[in-house]
Amino acid sequence: MSERNPWFVYWRDWRFWAALWVLGSAILLGVPAWDARSWLAGSPQASFRQTHLGTWPVETVWWFFAPLVLWLQSRLTLLDRRWPWALALHVLAAVLIAGLFIGLDAVRLLIANHLPWSFLPTIIHDLRTAGRWSYLPLLIYSLVMAALYAVSFYREWRAGQQLTGELRLANARLETRLVRASLDALKMQLHPHFLFNTLNSITSLIRNHRTQEAEDVVAGLGELLRRALDHRQEAMATLESELEFLRRYFDIERIRFQDRLQIEYDVQPDCVLALVPCLLLQPLAENAMKHGISRDPEARLLRISARCERSQLVLTVYNDGPPLPRDELIEGPGIGVQNTRARLHMLYGDEARFELRDQPPRGVLARVTLPFNTTPVP
Amino acid sequence: MTATSRAHWWATLALSGVGGLLLLGFLGPRQALPVQSRPASDENILRVAYSQELQIDPHRRSFPIPVQNLILLGLWEPLIECDPETGQPQPAAAESWEWAPDRRTLTLKLRPDGRWSNGDRVTAHDFVRGWRRLLQQSMELAAVLYPLKNAEAFNLGRLKDPAEIGVEAVDDLTLRLRLAGVRSTLVTELADPLLAPLHASTEAVLQDCRYRRQPDQLVTNGAFALERSTAEGFRLRPSGHFRDRTSLRLAGVEFVKVDGWRMGRLLLAAGRVDLLVPAFGDEKTLPTSRRVVSTSEMELTVTALDLNVTRGPLQDVRVRRALSLALDREAPTRLPEQERMTPAFAWVPDMPGRPGLKLLREDAAEARRLLAEAGYPGGRGFPVLYLPISVRWRSYPYFQAWTDRWYHELGIRTYVGYARDESRQERKKSGDYDIYFTGLQATVPDAGDMLSTFALPGMFSGSHWEDDEVKRLLLAADRVTGAERLALLEEAERRVMDAVPTIPTMFERRRTFFAEEVQGWYADPLGRQSLRRLSLRQPVSNVDRITL
Repeated sequence: MSERNPWFVYWRDWRFWAALWVLGSAILLGVPAWDARSWLAGSPQASFRQTHLGTWPVETVWWFFAPLVLWLQSRLTLLDRRWPWALALHVLAAVLIAGLFIGLDAVRLLIANHLPWSFLPTIIHDLRTAGRWSYLPLLIYSLVMAALYAVSFYREWRAGQQLTGELRLANARLETRLVRASLDALKMQLHPHFLFNTLNSITSLIRNHRTQEAEDVVAGLGELLRRALDHRQEAMATLESELEFLRRYFDIERIRFQDRLQIEYDVQPDCVLALVPCLLLQPLAENAMKHGISRDPEARLLRISARCERSQLVLTVYNDGPPLPRDELIEGPGIGVQNTRARLHMLYGDEARFELRDQPPRGVLARVTLPFNTTPVP
Repeated sequence: MTATSRAHWWATLALSGVGGLLLLGFLGPRQALPVQSRPASDENILRVAYSQELQIDPHRRSFPIPVQNLILLGLWEPLIECDPETGQPQPAAAESWEWAPDRRTLTLKLRPDGRWSNGDRVTAHDFVRGWRRLLQQSMELAAVLYPLKNAEAFNLGRLKDPAEIGVEAVDDLTLRLRLAGVRSTLVTELADPLLAPLHASTEAVLQDCRYRRQPDQLVTNGAFALERSTAEGFRLRPSGHFRDRTSLRLAGVEFVKVDGWRMGRLLLAAGRVDLLVPAFGDEKTLPTSRRVVSTSEMELTVTALDLNVTRGPLQDVRVRRALSLALDREAPTRLPEQERMTPAFAWVPDMPGRPGLKLLREDAAEARRLLAEAGYPGGRGFPVLYLPISVRWRSYPYFQAWTDRWYHELGIRTYVGYARDESRQERKKSGDYDIYFTGLQATVPDAGDMLSTFALPGMFSGSHWEDDEVKRLLLAADRVTGAERLALLEEAERRVMDAVPTIPTMFERRRTFFAEEVQGWYADPLGRQSLRRLSLRQPVSNVDRITL
């Protein structure tokens, strides 16, 4: 229902209901009063028992009790620790209303029969012995109250459900922000690692008086840092962007290793737009350089490949260096590999896999399998 | 303190306030209440309470309750009135009557001083006019004239010419009735308030209820004339032209509308009315110190369970006798507010000039023996009896007591089925029942009147029972009078009770409360007390309950 509908606005406004009640009361009082005007004026020909005041069903008086009933129900909750109070007051109200109905019945008889008011208790007593005490108002009150509480409880349950949904959404958002913060922290772990290695390379170049190359490395490093900082706020990047970043990185490393470093790319064209975690490949490439190429003078090949296999993206980093060191097999991989595993688990859960293994007769292969996506994961 | 906790306190306060006011009403004093003094305008006015609607049109009376009779017999005077003690006819509008030798023609002489309330003379033509009007009403009302020749045919539309009805005005003061058959109770039957005469101007006044606005337009021949008619009741004043007006001791009669007999009882206690009939409860429990006299009289009514003798085991007279012998007539009458009921052991109650007989008894052992003899020892194999009851009688305690006794003593089960009146009537017409609860009220104080129901064809009764010998006895009784007639009626009643086509259950006593200042109240089994006999005097004390 549109809130612009004026009736909806009235529907929600207590003054609308108050006006309706006043109007109904005016009708319920006015019509019998008008009908009984002759009797009220004291006409000897008029008879009370023939007026609406005398003949209308006493149940119409419920209209006047309605605000009291609704007020009591709205103010007396059965859910808090004062529920015995509420229950007791409802029972009292129901009994009183039933008593009022009996009293009204008796008053009407009293007036219709021109008896003095002192006979009212006797009439009430006579009505009881005649079985004319109606206990129906007790039942009506109980049913109305049960219905009102049922509606009230349903509304509260619905509101609770809505609140729970909102809390869940807020929790999810909070979790996302936490994950993002964790990723940022991980990235912050990567940056110094790479930075120290590169600065060591620059230091080495300077010590060897390879000033020009050192300047090129510093310039390349500056470019890398700029790109890294540009992507700081993003968890994902395209594979193409990652490869471009690697090229810059290898440009720096190529200065370190001179002509010995041979970089090969085996990337399917339809994979370049796939989204991958930022700086996913760089630590793997750095590991290959550190533990493979740099440890064996004969090692020189480093191959980056990317393939799409059944809606999955398979990324590999291969180097033809020596097998994995034994301590790494026993004590676990280094911080770069750990970070990569942790990031993949955070982002993809069980849908991503990372493996690092020897590739006989020589070389080591790092293999990352993750869902193939070209649009960001929500 | 929070808003919610304040709500509790406010609610408690408000409800306690209302509750206190209610307690004042519920627990206030109910005894020793003040008695209102009689207003000057009601001096020497007898005030009579009534709860059922009263009809002042004599030919449209709904039910002959005593208050209805009081107002009708106050306004209208029939030809005859019955002596309440002997049941014998007494002169009223007619001063004498004479039977023809064949007892098929009755000639009545009207009083020459009979006057309408406007001074016109009451003539035989007025009676002819009134009775012809009565014959145009429904059968229940018009049947009182069926003994007249052609009256039934005219009422049922088979005869168009009213001149052929057996009533004619020979002259202004002579009325001749020609009967369809011999009927010895006819003269007594002429006391029925239905048989009032009609002034030439009155029919239109009754028809359009003009009397409500112009009560003096209602011309009546009784001791009283209508003075006022409102929703609150009626007021009568002495008729200025009534022949015996000097003997009237009341200055008028006020009929006060009340909401039920309980209100009538309170109005009597409060001093607003002087007479309440019928009355229930104990006058000693009235909440004021007003001295009230209680009287009771036997009504000429009987309630009964008609046994459908065309159905199953009820065709066997032994079964019917067993049911009658095992009926519990006493227990229900001992229940609160049922004290006016009297167990019935015959069809005809006590009536003036003829005490009731005791023809039935209760004997459960004999009942079991008869049932076993009929092939149903212990009720084995006996079908469930069906007793349709009006939904209006849900509160009646009798049915449960009667059927419980049958089950416990005889092993006979009864399905008491509550039904709407129309549905119950339909069942009666189609004969789809085993037992039918019914009642009969006499219109004259004569046993023959109550027994005449057994002279009707079986289709008109709930039992569908007919007996030629009973019909013969009743016909013979109609031709004689006195002790000879009573003997024939007793023989007929014995024969009926021996065959048990119906089980009389209860007679009823009618109670009346009246203030001690009311004088002249007397018992009349037909509830046709005359206002002319009543008077008022100053209250005195030490008046105790009397039984008439």
